[in-house]
Amino acid sequence: MKRIVIADDSATARMFIKRCLDIIGFGDAEIIEAENGKEALAAAKAEPTDLLLSDLNMPVMDGETLLKWVRASPKLLDMPVVIITSAGNPAKEQELLQLGALKVINKPVSPPLLLEALSPFIDD
Amino acid sequence: MPPKDTPTDKAMLDAVCQTFETMAFAQVTEQSAELELEVGNESIWSSILVHDPVQGEIQMALPQALLTKIAADMFGIEQEEVNESQLQDIIAEILNTLAGLFMTSLLPDDQTYKLGLPEHGTGPLPEIETESIVWKLQIEGLALLLVAVGSGFRV
Repeated sequence: MKRIVIADDSATARMFIKRCLDIIGFGDAEIIEAENGKEALAAAKAEPTDLLLSDLNMPVMDGETLLKWVRASPKLLDMPVVIITSAGNPAKEQELLQLGALKVINKPVSPPLLLEALSPFIDD
Repeated sequence: MPPKDTPTDKAMLDAVCQTFETMAFAQVTEQSAELELEVGNESIWSSILVHDPVQGEIQMALPQALLTKIAADMFGIEQEEVNESQLQDIIAEILNTLAGLFMTSLLPDDQTYKLGLPEHGTGPLPEIETESIVWKLQIEGLALLLVAVGSGFRV
């Protein structure tokens, strides 16, 4: 069973992402919800985590800072991180990919969009 | 009054329609000139600041009854079970999403921008004293109001 951490300060967004994951075949995954990057980082470090889905714009610790912390942590270095953002465009996407994001998805999330983004992860 | 169907109008209407259709399975249409719907006092609003390169604010207001129905549909619960916290969270997330689509559509691909964290409240939208663009829309016969506050949104 895969362990997936979802970081978003909106309960609506987390619910929506969970529903999309369920539809594309991750219904049996263990989903850990976090309201900000700090909580997500703690959750990812607590137990081996297969995937981190993170919003960009969050209080306390934003998604970009979270991504930098993950890539700087030997324990989390190889964990795939997908950034889900409402403030994305090609320039921002390039920045985040260079920081080590697996994919960058623009909101609103839909099952096909998430499936496409997670296809490299699923193939593994 | 500025002409309708400008790139700004198209960007906003596309953003609103895509957001509501994807998140809430709700169809948004423009209000007809003959029947002007009001959001009313039993309403809920959210606003979000836009930072560089455009300084401004995007606001959205709609009747609580409409948002309650949307929330119930999204969470798969009865309308009576929807609480205030869920309403505030949903309107903030909807506005956050459509504001991002709107700005992405308005700005060149190589131009990054930042959105603030959404704020929300109940009752009529706060008074606007600066230049703004207003879009009067509807969902299932109930009013949906979008406002872009600031001079930088008109392209």
